[in-house]
Amino acid sequence: MQAEFRAPRRRTRVQEEYEAPLPVSLRPEERSLFRAELINQHVLVRDLEQIQKIHNQGFFGKGVLSRARPDHSISDQWEEHEGLFLPLVSQARYEELLRWAGATLSAQGLDEEAVNQTLLQLSQPIGTEDLRGEGQMMNGQEGPGPEDGASPCTERAWPEGGASPCTERAGPEGGASPCTERANPNPDSDSFSDSDSEPGPGPGSGSGSLVPGPGFVLVVSDSEAAVQIREVRRTPLSLSEYLQLSLEEAFFLVYGLGCLSVHMHQEPLSIVQLWRKFRSLHPDFVSSYAAYHHFRSRGWVPKEGGGAKYGVNLMLYRKGPPFYHASYSVVIERADDAFEGSALHPFSWRSLAALSRITANVSKELMLCYVVYPTDQSEAELDSPECLSRLKVQEVIVGRWVSSRERAEQDDI
Amino acid sequence: QITCNLPHKDCASNNCVPSELFAARSRSHKIPVRGQKDFFPNDSDEQRQRLEQSLNEHWSLTSEERVERLGNLVKAVWIPSDQIVELQSPAGKFWQTMGFSANGKQYLLPEEALYLMECGNVQVFYRDLPLSIQDGYERFLSSATVTLQQYQVFGHLKRLGYVVHRFDPSSEPSSYARQLNLPQSRDRAGRQLKRKRSPSPTYTKRLNSFCFFCSYTEAQVESTIEKMEEDKCSLEGDDAKKLAASPDIQTATTSGADEGRSWWMTDDLGASDKELHHSPTSGSSRWDFSSIPFPDVGSSERHPSCLAPPEPSLLPGDLTVGVCDIASWRRKINLRMVKMSSKEQKREKDTRRRRWDVNKDREVRRCRNWAEYHELLARRQRKRKGRPAHLWNREVTPLHDPKQPISTGELLDKISVIKSTHLLEGASRLKGSEQWRICFNVYQPDTVADFKKSNPGKPYSRMCVCSFDGPVPDLRAIKLLAFQSGDIPVVFAVVDHGDISFYTFKDFQLPTDVFP
Repeated sequence: MQAEFRAPRRRTRVQEEYEAPLPVSLRPEERSLFRAELINQHVLVRDLEQIQKIHNQGFFGKGVLSRARPDHSISDQWEEHEGLFLPLVSQARYEELLRWAGATLSAQGLDEEAVNQTLLQLSQPIGTEDLRGEGQMMNGQEGPGPEDGASPCTERAWPEGGASPCTERAGPEGGASPCTERANPNPDSDSFSDSDSEPGPGPGSGSGSLVPGPGFVLVVSDSEAAVQIREVRRTPLSLSEYLQLSLEEAFFLVYGLGCLSVHMHQEPLSIVQLWRKFRSLHPDFVSSYAAYHHFRSRGWVPKEGGGAKYGVNLMLYRKGPPFYHASYSVVIERADDAFEGSALHPFSWRSLAALSRITANVSKELMLCYVVYPTDQSEAELDSPECLSRLKVQEVIVGRWVSSRERAEQDDI
Repeated sequence: QITCNLPHKDCASNNCVPSELFAARSRSHKIPVRGQKDFFPNDSDEQRQRLEQSLNEHWSLTSEERVERLGNLVKAVWIPSDQIVELQSPAGKFWQTMGFSANGKQYLLPEEALYLMECGNVQVFYRDLPLSIQDGYERFLSSATVTLQQYQVFGHLKRLGYVVHRFDPSSEPSSYARQLNLPQSRDRAGRQLKRKRSPSPTYTKRLNSFCFFCSYTEAQVESTIEKMEEDKCSLEGDDAKKLAASPDIQTATTSGADEGRSWWMTDDLGASDKELHHSPTSGSSRWDFSSIPFPDVGSSERHPSCLAPPEPSLLPGDLTVGVCDIASWRRKINLRMVKMSSKEQKREKDTRRRRWDVNKDREVRRCRNWAEYHELLARRQRKRKGRPAHLWNREVTPLHDPKQPISTGELLDKISVIKSTHLLEGASRLKGSEQWRICFNVYQPDTVADFKKSNPGKPYSRMCVCSFDGPVPDLRAIKLLAFQSGDIPVVFAVVDHGDISFYTFKDFQLPTDVFP
């Protein structure tokens, strides 16, 4: 017998506007080709505009420095100052950032004298008139600079929660890096150019104040006086945030929608190469991708990260996390043609009961998603994403029945 | 639930001193109230006292001998050869939902008998001695009848008021019979008493002299169904033959139509049948269509805004048509309405407003002449329109080209390469399993008042009993039981030393959500 479909619960306070279900434009003249890098087994998107599009239209990925959407900023507070909109940072915090910049420079081999010189130059207050001149040119790209290698930094800490040390240095660096190329106080207009030379209006140009780009902060002196002096300074360390895509999300954008290219060591990967690479990273990639693809083709938004929170593989959202609470917690299982198979998550009644309880406590439904493989599928077939068309998906809802409560005629199990 | 392992005292055969009886009857029948829980032992006297008192209350409750009025107890006899309990005095109220009749006698299934013993309604004798509850557990429950765990589920549900019957897969109607909504008669007798005779578990097909039931025996029902299924096949065969013959019917009707509508024939209306039959079905009219002008309302040529009436000879009978004013129609054709949503309108406004200055583009500034500028534009155009080779010039290409405009619904269809399946698909070829079986049919307590054992109707659910320490059903087991159960939901009763939880594994297909 069929499980009843329960309507998803809408969140009480929705602050976001719905842009589009998927990052594939309905108007062909808009560009829909994104680029991601495969670094250290992670797929990262670096360009800010692409990040926005990919995340806002389908809720793919997660900001590496944020809880969900990439919204990391050097400060949570922003203020208007002489016609400019700047992040607010306390003097103490500014000095802390300076110290970190100094430490990074020292680690790069600069001697103490050079470090101090650099830091001194960095921390000069900036006139707002100079900034305003630059304001027009910003189009909001985060990151310290272009790919012209102006920065001599050799050590880069990848913004992966600080967990893994850097290994790669190709391409534009992200993460924390001191802005050494801006040693001269007059910002060189060229250094703010970017590879996307498509001019557009600066962000916030609609409103009165200008946002001069990520290289500047407003420092508030920690005086006890009633009036606190605010000065515009350069950001000693700039943290750029990337969007991290899970392997399934990345493959879906590449294969399902054709709108993403994944590059490894600067080389773009073909679909088959990507498939094989991902399979080597995750042994059960075929099953987890099949389930992901299935839910996406039904118009739902599957998000990873349910493991640590709810003990499951995926959470299913209608429209997206900002709009509705997740409706289903999904556990992915595989089965062969005789519907048996080694379970990816072997359940005991105890663990199933526990999972069922947790799921009910957060008002979701527990779904087992079985990916059924035909018996005559060879290993060679599985080495190409074309094997997906022979797979089938069986959804089963696990529920609990309370014998003492449901005794009325009208209640169904 | 506390099970009482001590025998009932019925006052006739046992010595029951009047004072004991009085004490028993006037004892408080209240269940001891449990107070607030203490969460930690704190070694206080008060706590110890409370615990002791509580324990004493429970002990005295369980050690109580239960006293029943002799007249209330229905007498029965255990027949181990048939694994059945035969009533020797008339049944009470429980007969509405439990037990069955056969050979002019009343019987109870072993689990039913044990349950009624525990309720204090029935006293079962074996070799002239009453069986204790313990005896009942030992003798009545076995793998041949009902296991202990299954009995625990049985008792749990019965105490909540449900009606619980054993499930017999062979007496479930085939899908065809269900389609026809055949009344299903329950042959509870046949199953039990036949078992001794027939070695195989499926006994529906055998005629048995012990089986006296209503007009339908199960065998008869089965054979009627088979016959009907055969008829159905032959009926389909007939239909096929009929379809083959239909061209004849078609021509018959067209000639009939010809007979009715002959006013466009320039012949007399009183044409004879003979003539009609001779006229071929195609091209039988006498009009010269090349000479009849048809107005072209949609042409862009200059036309008068009025259409002249058609020739009267072209019209049937008494119909007269005047001049037709087509001015309003002509105004409506060859028009395309452009309706912009508010978003699009806003976008139009924005693009008009935000006209950027091409001179601000750095790359444009680097162009020294028009030729270089054109080159720049061409380069950008190529980059924009190009399909990246690493995706499109290989053996596997993406499912969708983002350059193609497509609606969301169509896009979802396009990428749906993985098919959805349902539980019953492929389930019919699954062989039965020893481990996973449906034991009981369960009916809701509300139905008790009108319950008829001979025609109980569709169950509310079906139970499969398993142990908490045992495995969870895999997809195979879920499909197998779903198939056996048909359209009744299957509930898994998981027994953990007397504690029972119920779980369901239901078929589901996630609906497609297209927004907008």
